[in-house]
Amino acid sequence: MSSTIMTVDDSPSMRMLLRAALTDLGYKVLDAEDGVQALERLEGAEPDLLITDINMPRLDGFGLIEKVREQDRHRNLPILVLTTESSDEKKQRARSAGATGWIVKPFHPEKLAAAIRRVLH
Amino acid sequence: MSGLPRPADGLSRITIMQGETRVSDDPGVILTTVLGSCISACLFDPVTKVGGLNHFLLAEPGAGETDARSLQRYGVYAMEVLINAMMAMGASRSNLKARIYGGASLRDGFRDIGATNALFARRFLRDERITLVGEDVGGHGARRVEFRPTLGLARCRIAVDRPVERLRAPAIVPRPAAPVGDVEFF
Repeated sequence: MSSTIMTVDDSPSMRMLLRAALTDLGYKVLDAEDGVQALERLEGAEPDLLITDINMPRLDGFGLIEKVREQDRHRNLPILVLTTESSDEKKQRARSAGATGWIVKPFHPEKLAAAIRRVLH
Repeated sequence: MSGLPRPADGLSRITIMQGETRVSDDPGVILTTVLGSCISACLFDPVTKVGGLNHFLLAEPGAGETDARSLQRYGVYAMEVLINAMMAMGASRSNLKARIYGGASLRDGFRDIGATNALFARRFLRDERITLVGEDVGGHGARRVEFRPTLGLARCRIAVDRPVERLRAPAIVPRPAAPVGDVEFF
């Protein structure tokens, strides 16, 4: 049974790119346009991995990660940040919030695939 | 474009080169760039009076990949850097409006990179639901674009060979990203 990945990004273009890349790799994809919608969809879903942007309206990536880690059933959900940002300060903030890893945009399909395999298998 | 006032004395011109992005909320600033087959998207938020422009050529940085998905990944990245920089300055994504320039075909017989760039830009704005309010793309001539970021107004004309005054940029410049697709585990 293929794993399910939830992607969270306020850019429809990025969500489409990710969906295409992840589908090509054989994963099922759920997506959300910001942190608020992601939390709503997590109530009825059990993804195996969460990939989230940082800069989003309503609830950004940092806030989303913190909220997810507050929930017992998602305490061990792997969470990868996928962002244009690369500052050490923001990486540390994501790490403190509970993120598993950090990927810099534009993503490279092979590097993304390797990162996903590492956290899922 | 007809009807636009010429820049007044005291306005600072900031030149943007290929691969760069600049945003500003300073009414005394004009962002300017010269385009061939490259594309420049000028985005502005008329509510918060924040604007910016980028200048990019669709290409996977350093990898030499030219398949459609690679080109799109880089283009989406280039646009996201601009949008994120504007949001950091207070702009709201839902307010954004856009003008696009460039995408000229500069050489006969070569792959029409300009048309590919222009097609990407239009499609991106459509998918992102950002209203395109003006454009000057295609053709065969290089263009000089001058953009008033707080007004959302632009002047675009065929470039002539004359020096461009460069000033130190007071506008926010997005920090360069790490190598493409870099992954770090915590």
